[in-house]
Amino acid sequence: MRNKRSATIWTGIALVVVLFFGWLLVRDIGLPGGRALTTLSPQGPKAQEIQNLIIPVFLVAGLVFVLVQVGLVWLVVRFRRHKDDRDGVDEPEQVHGNTKLEIGWTIVPAAVLAVLAVFNVQTTLAMDNADDPLEITVIGNQWWWEYRYDLEGDGVVDIITANDAAIPVGRDIVFKIQSNDVIHSFWIPALAGKMDAVPGRTHQRVMRADEPGIYQGQCTEYCGLSHGVMRMQVTAYEPDDYDTWIEAMTTAPAQPDPDDELAIAGQELFVTQCSFCHQVNGLDPNSSAPFEYSDLPDPDYGASIDIPLASGNAPNMTHFMMRPYMVGGLLPAYEGLSRGGGGDQRTVAEPIPSGTPEENNLKQWLREPESIKPMNPDNNQGMPNYNLTEEQIEQLTAYLLTLK
Amino acid sequence: MGDLMYEEVEDLEFPDDIHVTSTGISNEKLGMWVYLASDCLLFGGMISTYLIYKNRPAQIEGLEGGDIIPSQFFDIPFTSMTSFILLMSSLTMVLSVNAIMRGDMVRMRLWLVATTVLGSMFLAGQAYEFTIFYFDDGLGFTTNVATSAFYALTGLHGVHVLIGVIMLLTMVGISYRRKMHAEAVEVVGLYWHFVDIVWVVIFTVVYLIP
Amino acid sequence: MAITEQTPLELTTGEDRTSSAGDPMGVFARPRANTGWRSWVNTVDHKKIGIMYGVASFFFFLVAGVEALMIRTQLAVPGSQLLSADLYNQVFTMHGVTMVFMVVMPLAAAFANYLLPLQIGARDVSFPRMNALSLWIWLSGAIFFNTSWFLGGGADGGWFNYAPNASVTFSPGFGIDFYAIGLIIMGIGSTVSAVNLTVTVLNMRAPGMTLMKMPVFTWMMFITQVLLVFALPVITVALLLLSFDRIFDAAFFDASKGGDPFLWQHLFWIFGHPEVYIMVLPAFGIVSEVIPVFSRKPIFGYPFMVGSGIAIGFMGWGVWAHHMFASGMGQMSILAFSLATLFIAVPTGVKVLNWLATMYGGRLRFNTAMLFSVALVGMFTIGGLSGVSHAFAPADTQQTDTYYIVAHFHYVLFGGALLGLFSGMYFWWPKVFGHFLGERLGKWHFWLTLIGFNLTFGPQHILGLQGMMRRTYTYFDDQGFSTWNLVSTIGSYIIAISVLVFMWNMGASYRKHRRERVDPGPDPWDARSLEWMVPSPTPEHNFDETPVVEEFDEFWHRKYGHDENGRLVRIAKTSDVAQTGQNANVHLPSPSYWPLVIAISMPLIGYGLIFNLWWAVPGAILLIAGCYGWVMEPSTDPAGGHHHDDHDPEAGPPDAAVAELAKGEDLETGMSNGTDDGGPESSTTEEAPVG
Repeated sequence: MRNKRSATIWTGIALVVVLFFGWLLVRDIGLPGGRALTTLSPQGPKAQEIQNLIIPVFLVAGLVFVLVQVGLVWLVVRFRRHKDDRDGVDEPEQVHGNTKLEIGWTIVPAAVLAVLAVFNVQTTLAMDNADDPLEITVIGNQWWWEYRYDLEGDGVVDIITANDAAIPVGRDIVFKIQSNDVIHSFWIPALAGKMDAVPGRTHQRVMRADEPGIYQGQCTEYCGLSHGVMRMQVTAYEPDDYDTWIEAMTTAPAQPDPDDELAIAGQELFVTQCSFCHQVNGLDPNSSAPFEYSDLPDPDYGASIDIPLASGNAPNMTHFMMRPYMVGGLLPAYEGLSRGGGGDQRTVAEPIPSGTPEENNLKQWLREPESIKPMNPDNNQGMPNYNLTEEQIEQLTAYLLTLK
Repeated sequence: MGDLMYEEVEDLEFPDDIHVTSTGISNEKLGMWVYLASDCLLFGGMISTYLIYKNRPAQIEGLEGGDIIPSQFFDIPFTSMTSFILLMSSLTMVLSVNAIMRGDMVRMRLWLVATTVLGSMFLAGQAYEFTIFYFDDGLGFTTNVATSAFYALTGLHGVHVLIGVIMLLTMVGISYRRKMHAEAVEVVGLYWHFVDIVWVVIFTVVYLIP
Repeated sequence: MAITEQTPLELTTGEDRTSSAGDPMGVFARPRANTGWRSWVNTVDHKKIGIMYGVASFFFFLVAGVEALMIRTQLAVPGSQLLSADLYNQVFTMHGVTMVFMVVMPLAAAFANYLLPLQIGARDVSFPRMNALSLWIWLSGAIFFNTSWFLGGGADGGWFNYAPNASVTFSPGFGIDFYAIGLIIMGIGSTVSAVNLTVTVLNMRAPGMTLMKMPVFTWMMFITQVLLVFALPVITVALLLLSFDRIFDAAFFDASKGGDPFLWQHLFWIFGHPEVYIMVLPAFGIVSEVIPVFSRKPIFGYPFMVGSGIAIGFMGWGVWAHHMFASGMGQMSILAFSLATLFIAVPTGVKVLNWLATMYGGRLRFNTAMLFSVALVGMFTIGGLSGVSHAFAPADTQQTDTYYIVAHFHYVLFGGALLGLFSGMYFWWPKVFGHFLGERLGKWHFWLTLIGFNLTFGPQHILGLQGMMRRTYTYFDDQGFSTWNLVSTIGSYIIAISVLVFMWNMGASYRKHRRERVDPGPDPWDARSLEWMVPSPTPEHNFDETPVVEEFDEFWHRKYGHDENGRLVRIAKTSDVAQTGQNANVHLPSPSYWPLVIAISMPLIGYGLIFNLWWAVPGAILLIAGCYGWVMEPSTDPAGGHHHDDHDPEAGPPDAAVAELAKGEDLETGMSNGTDDGGPESSTTEEAPVG
């Protein structure tokens, strides 16, 4: 038969090429190292269930992929027209179809899909199961995340923090996801799938971390100007460390040292400038410097932006330096953490950070916020550049570093 | 070739004779049907929007203007009357088509004008209703989503009626100028009946169902 | 036409229509120029309209291509400062919207306009003037939309334009107003066109051309048009509500005032998912024409091809919420849509296997058209398989809004739709322009496209699974995305080169044609369907006489038969069965300026709504004048064409001749009132509430 030999050869070559690319794909996506956001390196049961569902699907799809591509190459070579073929003489058999065959290749894929669909149903239904969960409210804002902890379940918020959520290892967490402005999407790929934060609605996503560490996340629903750099982290602590973290977060931060003039001046500057949007819990603007702190978040927090110190349209700063990242999860707050969350995928964080702060990141942010994160403060989206002097920046930095 | 065509065509799918289009329905009529099918989804989308929003503002605590729900202010007897007028216009439309089918141009015009008048009465009723809603009841277009959806839906229908009225008047005008085909009136009639039927749906869904 | 022949009842007092030229309404006499630029502006010829669709959408293809290059250049290296975040957001939005609404859809419309009447043996579409209207409305909407670049910046909400990010509060510029109004305008054009082509396929088929004898391309186009008829009003509702929100301060999508952002998502995707099939089915149709011709075999399993197309069309309505698996819908909705989505893979798979089976046992001739078609089969399969992988709802929550999705839909829309459309260009170029596109450059075009395409979008699968989200203007060097992004950018430049090669090919082929004047003849590929029966380029009146169809692949069966052993044998020379295009005595629909006038009015109203309502006044005046002129215009120019009795008596017995007239030429006589009133006016209702 004509072309048979070359068809076999080319099919072999195609098979090798396709398998090579397949291997490249599998090899590359299988490497979690350096890729904090990879979807294929689950670290918790929910992400693992998704993984267990999708791997067989990828295998079936991969098989079909190889068959079709290699088959196509075989067809192309095998039935290639010869130079000396004459139209009207060397014509192929005119096959109009084969009903049995066609019914076959309608039913077989449908059957394969039906089998896979069973697992699909199972996994979908399992996504929301949670056993004795810890509830954390997540609120999306342009372009940062707020977390609220109600530890006793009494309706009183005990902890407000931003961008970095702390969770205990080995316990189911239910994130109650809301939004203050536009639609965002909360996504910690190592722990669970994403879930949109829609204004006017509360959605939930269940996840659990099996190992301590910092899990990187990313807003994945287009939310305007700085969507591309809207980051967040979930930090999982061992239960003891988590209790330490709770303890630290529910007590007032240490007062600035009365001798530290820089920090005292910074505190005053914070009250006069920053507190229009940022809150430090219990800071009373009517007292005088150094200001006192109270323990609990203001119950009216976030109710209206007209009330200074209870504004809530910018991250809560009470325990600012307890967070491993700053600026919407974008910049490391301590040396040794990487900006993209790369390097080793998970960096184990201390419940009370003791490292060297990345002062320069903070100063650059205060100096030129728009250089780090594009914003549109004229339309109340993001932080304006207050054209602070270097001295003011020094003072504010000194103060902010005391907030642990 | 030609002979072949003539014989073959007899037992092909063409119903009566080969002069007819493939389906036997004229392009114009079929085109109008297809367009109306499309229009169904336009109204479908708007009606769904209204159904989603009709009581929503009242369910949100503390929403400014949330207690102003269009359905509180409906004057069912009045709207029933205007609806009846619009339905009657379908009858006059049928009579008009009937007249031109018989070649009676005078009656055709008469009934077309009657349809136009009835349609205009409906529009006037709607305008009156809107002014009452707006000035007396405080139902602004932007008061809340329920009022917005109400005005958007009934307004969309009103615009359809208005365009129908313009089409009918144009038909009357053309009838003095050109030869007319019965089906031209029939196709406009299709549009008119559709607009009427849509109103029946709107009247039921918006006004009658609590 | 039925009505004409049924001795319509006449106005007893009415004047004879042929004398109405002297009537006061005769001021609206039909334009007569049939050469020069005027012949393009006032044409109602489906072929010229098709060519203009093609030229205009190719222009927008270049615009959107440049936008794509800007995107890829920005993402070539981590932390690039080339485009600001703001500009980047505009560029990717404009790229998406332009590619969908101004490239793939109208390019398919170009093929539909040119080929549908030819493939069903008709003289023109059912409403030639409305056909011109849809072209001009679409074009004016497209130009309107793109002028936003010069009037404060393009839309920046993504092509899906989710509320409430698209509200005035969060997107205060004019970009999204241009998006809303521009799409409404283009939607009006597409609705008119869809109604027109639906009626054309249903009503204008040549004698004997039953539905199940129509070419697969016609079938796919028909399904596409039906989908458009039902999908466009849904997006129109969404866009109207959005315009009310933005221009008249309503709050349909503002959660703080009781609106629901989900309403936008549902309305958008109820349109958006059928839209996917609207974009890809035409390419399936093209491939189903090209592969049989160059395999020298009939399409394998014609009923299954048609049936699977219909199945896709139906099922496409039941899967829209698979775009919303991560949006927070209830679990039961997720399950229902997830399962429906899984099974839509079945009819699509049937198509792929039937194409492969068509090639099996054939004598495959690989010229450029065939290469593109075969590539489509391979590339679309990849897009289909990745599509199956996110039909699994839990998996989709990991994949959605990442580059995995970007890769998926580019494999569907570039690897599916665009490769098919390129294939169609090489295939039908001689029919349309009377000369071939060069094969040597064509093969360069093909291989560069294929390699560039896979280099660009293949790596994006990896990037997406590694967690790179879409619509991001930058990424960081330590996220591990750098290598594949660079590869992807290199690929995109290879695509750009391939497009340049294609343009060069168009120019070079034309120059060669000018030098050598090689007539491709009516049937250069020894093809199967009716359009190859007429000379190339197609004469203005299409068919000298309407063909009578007996079989699927009618033209092929006139050329080939079977010997006693069932082998294929030639029974007639092409020149014996093809038409000469010499019949000049065919009555053609008269040209008209009114479609253009009506179309121009729409962007004027649009600018008025955005900037200052007074600007809408000239638009409204033009619109009213246009509709009035349209209605009053004598539907055929009494002094400008041929009449029934001029018809060549040799063309057939009188009845057959009348039948031909009924089929094609005499489209608008007598019945224009209904058409004119029912068509453009009622279609303008969709924008009327805004005005």
